[in-house]
Amino acid sequence: MNQALEKLRILADAAKYDVSCASSGLERKNSNGIGNSKSFGICHSWASDGRCISLLKILLTNKCVYNCVYCVNRCSAETKRASLEPEEIAQITIEFYRRNYIEGLFLSSAVEINPDTTMEKMLKSLQLLRETYSFNGYIHAKIIPGTSSGLINKIGILADRISVNIELPSESSLQLLAPQKKLSAILSPMDHIHNKINENNDLRKKFKGIDKFAGAGQSTQMIIGASKENDYLILNAAQQMYHKFHLKRVYYSAYMPVVSSSLLPVPSSPPPLKRENRLYQADWLLRFYFFKADELIDLSSPFLDLDLDPKMSWALRNMHQFPIEINRVSYEELLRVPGIGVRSAYKIVAQRRRAAVKYEHLAKMGIVVKRAKYFITCCGKYYGKISLKPETIKNALFPEINAEQQLTFWDRN
Amino acid sequence: MVDYLYDGSFEGLLTCVYLHYYEEPASGVFLESQYQSDLLRPYKCVVTSLTCSDKVYFAIRKKISPLALQNTYYLYLSNHIHKEMLVLEYLKKGFKIGISIDDQHADPLIHDIHILSKKVLAESHRFLGLIRFTDTGVFLYSAIQPDHNILILLGDHFSDRLKNEKFIIHDQRRSKALISSDGIWYITDFDSKTDFPLQKKEEYYRSLWKNYYNHIGIGERKNPKLQAQYMPRRYWKNLTEI
Repeated sequence: MNQALEKLRILADAAKYDVSCASSGLERKNSNGIGNSKSFGICHSWASDGRCISLLKILLTNKCVYNCVYCVNRCSAETKRASLEPEEIAQITIEFYRRNYIEGLFLSSAVEINPDTTMEKMLKSLQLLRETYSFNGYIHAKIIPGTSSGLINKIGILADRISVNIELPSESSLQLLAPQKKLSAILSPMDHIHNKINENNDLRKKFKGIDKFAGAGQSTQMIIGASKENDYLILNAAQQMYHKFHLKRVYYSAYMPVVSSSLLPVPSSPPPLKRENRLYQADWLLRFYFFKADELIDLSSPFLDLDLDPKMSWALRNMHQFPIEINRVSYEELLRVPGIGVRSAYKIVAQRRRAAVKYEHLAKMGIVVKRAKYFITCCGKYYGKISLKPETIKNALFPEINAEQQLTFWDRN
Repeated sequence: MVDYLYDGSFEGLLTCVYLHYYEEPASGVFLESQYQSDLLRPYKCVVTSLTCSDKVYFAIRKKISPLALQNTYYLYLSNHIHKEMLVLEYLKKGFKIGISIDDQHADPLIHDIHILSKKVLAESHRFLGLIRFTDTGVFLYSAIQPDHNILILLGDHFSDRLKNEKFIIHDQRRSKALISSDGIWYITDFDSKTDFPLQKKEEYYRSLWKNYYNHIGIGERKNPKLQAQYMPRRYWKNLTEI
């Protein structure tokens, strides 16, 4: 009994740096077994770091033959090793699920002998859950680069979401930090999964009773701050993957300096949490706000501004496009105003069909007036009360940033 | 003008709305058991009529919108002290304006109603995740103390999910319970003793879960404020892991 506790501890500790936790994107009813799936996804708890716990996130094993420098499970690391049998995984999942602790399983693994043997074991766990235990809950399976496509096809039928981690978005960083991984070996399964999903969608339109292949799509993850890549490269890579493979999500994981190596940030340095946050904001702008990566960032300053969110920073760089009249411009243009989000833009469009939206209505519709007022006119009137210069607006919005800059200026003298 | 007193059911509330239009205009609608009568205000106890409430129900759906019907129901489930008055005002306005009622985001009444209805929906969504069952050996049991009366919104979800199980979700604040057996569920008054002795297997899985919970957080990213923002502290006492 204590042995199981210990195993779960080791394998949870080893899995926690994988950030994906979504249980969304698929609606499925219970077919006389246990479990169902909701397209909106359900969070069950929140860990001490504030991240949600939706799925039982666990490794099959942390015994690894690879030696990726940044990874806690690399073969040269001195850490306790453990592995779970498919039967144990299935049982824990079912018992946790019955008690409503979790929404499903997120199964990943280190590479024990080679990718295929490990993935065979993962396939066995999923088969056990789906077939023996009639489990209809959510399953996210992590595909190890190098897995044969036959295995991926089998896993894709059983799992709801599958993901291949890109980890580092350039061949040179991979070579430096994860010499056993190749960029092409990561991208080709992504492409394969994308094609399978499309093929499956076509088939399901023509014939009845065909199982979904990765019904909740595929996602990936990139590590931020372990290698030298700039945000320009990262965002462009993300945009390309969204475009090419129709990924549901790209996750960004701030690198936790856990390993001492001359190739990595020193272990005591703080993780780049702010940068991770800005990347997520930019990612949202790509997916829901019709922005292009080139607009948010360019090669002359290839990192996102840490003081300002990417949308504000874009707006201040493009003041010539503002102010815009909220009763006239299109939905897409509304989305570009700092302080207006997807919901509030939708509300503006809905309300102005009946009557013009007035300035005093904005706060009630969920718009952050404090930010938005410098970029809009309402029924022809500008309420910002200061001139439309980026510097003045920045001062008015974030007086503390300027004060800091002045301080450093005086310090230098 | 008269105060209508209803029995606490949604149908009762809709009957009052019916009477407001077809008998005497309402000066207010109140819960019968909590009404404080006043010499100068006439009042009437309303006998719930399914014919009347059905008429109002379908009228809301057809003449206003399905969304308005949903909002009305969420308002009814909320813990607002004057929720009946809000429903009455909302429907009065709705029948006058029609489908565009929910586009009037700038109207203070509609604004408040949307916020309240969203709160109810949000809490019911939260509890889809925050419920923790204890396996008593015979059935699964869970105790909750939600702000709003959301029990009924949980029924379909859990009875489908745990189709082959028997379970009880106990709303301790309202002494009510959702009881489900093999996919069929109902809600009833419930006030029995609920401190079941923990079985060995149950204790084992609880310790596994706590163990997992404590190790899945990244120590370097500790952020109690964010944690409490998503999972407010008032819910913590019914959670196994904390």
